[in-house]
Amino acid sequence: MSYEVTIEPTGDVIEVDEGQTILDAALRQGVWLPFACGHGTCATCKVQVLEGEADIGNASPFALMDVERDEGKVLACCAMPQSDLVIEADIDVDPDFAGYPVVDFVGTLTEVRDLSPTIKGFWFELDRELEFQAGQYVNLRIPGVEGSRAFSIANKPSDSRTLELHVRKVPGGAGTTWLHEQLQVGQTLEISGPYGQFFVRKSDEQDAIFIAGGSGLSSPQSMILDLLEEGDRRQLYLFQGARNLAELYNRELFEGLERNYPNFHYIPALNDPLPEDHWQGFTGFVHEAAMARFDNRFSGHKAYLCGPPPMIDAAITALMQGRLFERDIHMERFFTAADGSEESTRSALFKRI
Amino acid sequence: MAANKLNLKDKYRLLTRDLDWEFSYQERKKAFPFEEFEGIKITDWSKWEDPFRLTMDAYWKYQAEKEKKLYAIFDAFAQNNSQLNVTDPRYINAIKLFLTAVSPLEYQAFQGFAHTGRQFGGVGARVACQMQSIDELRHVQTQIHAMSHYNKFFDGFQDWSHMHDRVWYLSVPKSFFDDARSAGPFEYLVAISFSFEYVLTNLLFVPFMSGAAYNGDMATVTFGFSAQSDEARHMTLGLEVIKFLLEQHEDNVPLVQKWIDKWFWRGAQLLSIVGMMMDYMLPNKVMSWKEAWGVYFEEAGGALFKDLARYGIRMPKYVEQVQTEHMSHQLWWTMYTHGHATGFHTWIPTDEEMDWLSEKYPETFDKYYRPRWELAKQMEAEGNRFYTKALPQLCTTCQIPMLFTEVDDPTQLSFRDTVYHGERYHFCSDGCRDIFHEEPEKYVQSWLPVHQIFQGNCGGPGVEQVLSEYYGMNLGADNLDIKGSPDEQRWNRWKGVA
Ligand code: FES
Ligand SMILES: [Fe+2]
Ligand SMILES: [Fe+2]
Ligand SMILES: [Zn+2]
Repeated sequence: MSYEVTIEPTGDVIEVDEGQTILDAALRQGVWLPFACGHGTCATCKVQVLEGEADIGNASPFALMDVERDEGKVLACCAMPQSDLVIEADIDVDPDFAGYPVVDFVGTLTEVRDLSPTIKGFWFELDRELEFQAGQYVNLRIPGVEGSRAFSIANKPSDSRTLELHVRKVPGGAGTTWLHEQLQVGQTLEISGPYGQFFVRKSDEQDAIFIAGGSGLSSPQSMILDLLEEGDRRQLYLFQGARNLAELYNRELFEGLERNYPNFHYIPALNDPLPEDHWQGFTGFVHEAAMARFDNRFSGHKAYLCGPPPMIDAAITALMQGRLFERDIHMERFFTAADGSEESTRSALFKRI
Repeated sequence: MAANKLNLKDKYRLLTRDLDWEFSYQERKKAFPFEEFEGIKITDWSKWEDPFRLTMDAYWKYQAEKEKKLYAIFDAFAQNNSQLNVTDPRYINAIKLFLTAVSPLEYQAFQGFAHTGRQFGGVGARVACQMQSIDELRHVQTQIHAMSHYNKFFDGFQDWSHMHDRVWYLSVPKSFFDDARSAGPFEYLVAISFSFEYVLTNLLFVPFMSGAAYNGDMATVTFGFSAQSDEARHMTLGLEVIKFLLEQHEDNVPLVQKWIDKWFWRGAQLLSIVGMMMDYMLPNKVMSWKEAWGVYFEEAGGALFKDLARYGIRMPKYVEQVQTEHMSHQLWWTMYTHGHATGFHTWIPTDEEMDWLSEKYPETFDKYYRPRWELAKQMEAEGNRFYTKALPQLCTTCQIPMLFTEVDDPTQLSFRDTVYHGERYHFCSDGCRDIFHEEPEKYVQSWLPVHQIFQGNCGGPGVEQVLSEYYGMNLGADNLDIKGSPDEQRWNRWKGVA
């Protein structure tokens, strides 16, 4: 049994299990809410319930006073939903967030192709236009798999009737295995979206660094295609990480863009090239490629990271040590069943990292 | 979609942006003379992100509400004679120690934030410090009120503020804050807001509040909760300070690291007092000091320092030297053996308590500490309750008597010393010695109570006169063993025990 909690003003939606606190669910699902003590005594996590019922749990009478209880305030760190909820939290809406509404679609598979030995590309035709910001993701309902699975959109927003997804087959992952092995051209899937806070902060004029690992290329691909199509003149750097040459997919696409757009720079990195790859490019992890290219000085840029958690982690450390900080780092972590659950104790130092 | 509604951040900015002012006939630098002298580089105050968004009118409204609730509970506590509901009179000694050692620090925090807030060129930091300053004043007042009730029934509460400034073991907490307040404004915030409030405060408040609850002291539980509800603002201020300094300039990183190293070590040594309360002074125990350290420092602090590593900040330097296996035992033993000179009662742990300690400290209690207590028990049975005749030697930095042992040998007392301008100074640990080396001119001025007694600055000539005339203790009532004390006799009378 679980409840759906919508968090305003961003509109993020999280699933909260019976007996789970709103804060715990939010942090585990990558949605940041303000918090400090984590156990109902400090009131940092106070939120307003707009719709629905919640059990206030173990809130201290000094952290949540009677008048506030009457007004429908709760402490997210100890409140547990008793129904679906809409809450309002003290979080900021990014000025670049367009807030396109989430819509349900039916997608018909028109093409599937191997992009690399482990990643397939899927192209769907949608039954209606999908308005989204480059970098956002959709949820797919996969037959026989409980819940839904999230995948970033790889095409640019102007191609609004198609949907391009890059899917890595996760060992033991029921959803990705089904997509790789069962889904046939002509079949339809239920899709909803767009979701997420990963998009280009276009109002910020600094040059942009994109760091992508594995199938995490999808979002940066969409973002870069979108920016170039709009004639954006800032410098754009794409660092693409892969294990070996066969895993480095869509290389021709970006080499082509680099030839045509003087402000676009493509830097692929292989961390474990095979002898037969005869690799001449950067050998090492993708964050190391970025460190080498920028000589460990990243300030004055915006960075967009997309890929598996260890890659994101290493990239954040590299960027911060190169003096680029949280306000200029944006990311989408690709969690899979293989990553296990996120560690439970986290500090309140960072909001989104 | 509420995206276009004015969010709290914008509302707050509109309400507070005019709190700063331009300097038309003075140089801005002269208005904030301390901002640069520590070597911290601030390039852009506008990058300061308000750690919380609270306007003064909302602040007063909330605080008034809290006060109303708190004092209603105090009144009920007094009317119902709830002092009789605590587990046993030994418990009261933990709060005597709290009132003389910790509550005055709330007052020092009030003074410190008022002074420090004045020194920042950025208006956000100034407002945050101002609010915290008022909070801390409220904390000390609520604590005095809570304890004033106990003062009617028990010894040792009468002159806590006077004692805080003079008594030998109380110079430990006092010097901690004196050190912070006499530092520059950024060091003060790293010391108090970050190292103490953010990293270590849960070790003080959580066990202490649960300790009070486990022992039937609802007045203390209530002021604890009331203070905790302000604490989040203090903690988030600590976090914002650290992020701000580390992001403003890379040259700030080594300075911040040095301060974290120093204040973590000073804080850990100071908290040995809380460790002793938890392991020995609470009749109903919450968790051992070692367990509390594991949960509140190792787990929570581990996650924090993992995140800070991204800025190039590492774990505090002396973290491996914190001896959670030993410190509470060694400190209580020192208090017990100096029990004629303490403003609270001391005692030998009961047999059940010793079994609890063996269970919580399986590697160390039976091996090193139980034999001492067995000996003390035997001496007491023979009518020779042991009190040492000597005055302890104090560490020049933390002012704790040199009672802790070497990290690798719990049978060897840890002594460090150094010679500065022809004088020899003594320290309890590498950490304290290194802190001295960083700023010797500061610490040569330490007011060390035992030195002061020997120099004749605390009355005398005998220890008895120092205790009664200079410290203001009621000898025979405030000090000595709980057994046979007036506190115990009254308690037994109230409870109808023979
Ligand atoms: S985080 Fe402190 S009350 Fe919720
Ligand atoms: Fe306080
Ligand atoms: Fe505080
Ligand atoms: Zn010391």
